[in-house]
Amino acid sequence: MKGKVAIVPCSGIGKSYGSVAREGAFEVTHDLCREKTRLVPLALLVLGDDEARSALAETQAITIDGCRLACAAKVVAESGGTVAHKLRVFDVFRRHRNLKPSGIAELDENGKKLARILADEIKELVEGMQGGTGGA
Amino acid sequence: MPDLGRKKVGIIACSGEEIPEGTVTRLAALKVLETLRPHETVTICLPLFLAGGEGDRAFARFHPTVAVDGCEKRCAARSTEIYSSKPAVSIVVHDGADATRLGTARRLTEAGMKRVNDVAEQIARHVDQLLGLKSDRRAGRALGSPESQEDSKGRQATCSCGSGIPVATLRLAGREATFVALPLIFAQFREAGKLPDDSTQAELMEAVRIYNPIADEDEASCADLILREYRAYCQRSH
Repeated sequence: MKGKVAIVPCSGIGKSYGSVAREGAFEVTHDLCREKTRLVPLALLVLGDDEARSALAETQAITIDGCRLACAAKVVAESGGTVAHKLRVFDVFRRHRNLKPSGIAELDENGKKLARILADEIKELVEGMQGGTGGA
Repeated sequence: MPDLGRKKVGIIACSGEEIPEGTVTRLAALKVLETLRPHETVTICLPLFLAGGEGDRAFARFHPTVAVDGCEKRCAARSTEIYSSKPAVSIVVHDGADATRLGTARRLTEAGMKRVNDVAEQIARHVDQLLGLKSDRRAGRALGSPESQEDSKGRQATCSCGSGIPVATLRLAGREATFVALPLIFAQFREAGKLPDDSTQAELMEAVRIYNPIADEDEASCADLILREYRAYCQRSH
C-alpha cells in the first residue's frame, strides 16, 4: 500500500457523535499516527477537489461516521477511494456505554474519552494495514 | 403564499479540518444555531448533499441559506449551489491574514475564538435580513421573534440530516420532475378546505412556484398536472 492512510471523519454538525468523529481523527492524525496517516477533509471531496481525490487514489481510507447516514463512507466511495474500514462512533459507544457524549461545539469529558478510545482503535487498524508498529 | 411552517434560514458550514478557519466556520455556525438565533435557523451536514436523498438536496431550495467557508475554495457555497440551490449569502472566513494566530483546526486561540464570535454575529445579521427581522445589536438578538426573549442556554443544535424536505416526483411532459414541498402544500390546501377544481389552480401554482422554478413552456401542463395530483390527493385522503 502506498502513501499515508487517509482518515476521513464526517465532522457532522448536529450531533455529539460527529464531534467525536472529528476529535478522534485529529487525535490519530496529529498525535498517535502522525507519520502514517493523513486527514482528508470531507468537504473537499463533496466538492470534487482534484487534490483531495488524488490523495484517496494513492492509498486506502478509514472513514469515521457519526450517524447511520454514513456520509464519510459514501462520499469516499463516490470519490473513487477504497474504504478499508468503515467506523461508526455509535459502535464504539455501544462498547463503552458509560461514555455517553454531550456537546457539539465543546465535547464533554465523556466525549473526549470516547474520541481517545476511537483513536486508539484506529491506530491499531492503521498498524494492521501497514504491517508494523504505529507511533508518531 | 402558504405558511408551510415558520420560515427559517439554513446555515451550512464547511467544518474544514485542515485549517483553523474551518473550525471557525463550525463554531460560528453552532453559536448561531444554539445561542444567537436558535429559533430562526436550521442546519444540515454538507456531505448529505452528495450522500443523501432528494429531500436532503432540496434543503437550500426550501430554506434561504447562508454558506460559511473557511477558505476561498468555498466548498460549502459551491457544493450547496451544485447539489441544492445557490446560497442567499456566502461568507468566507479567511481574510488573507496569517491564520496561525487563530490557532489550529483542533484548538483555536483567543484570537480564533474572537473570530468565531465576529463571524457568528455576521451570520446572525444576515439571518435577520433574510427573515426581515430587526436586530437588537446590544443583546445580539432578533427583535420581533416570539421566542427572542427566551433563554437559549443549554440548547444544543440538531441537524436536518435525513429528515429531508418532503418532495414529490411526477411525470411532466414525458420526463420525471421533482417538486419540493408539494406534499406539504397539498396537506395545507386540503386542511384549509380548498377544493380541487379550477378555482384553486392559480393559488396552488403560486404556492408551488415559491419552491420550484417552472419554465414558461411547462407552465400550462404543470398547472394541469398539479391540479390533477391535488384532486387525487384529496380523493385518497377523503
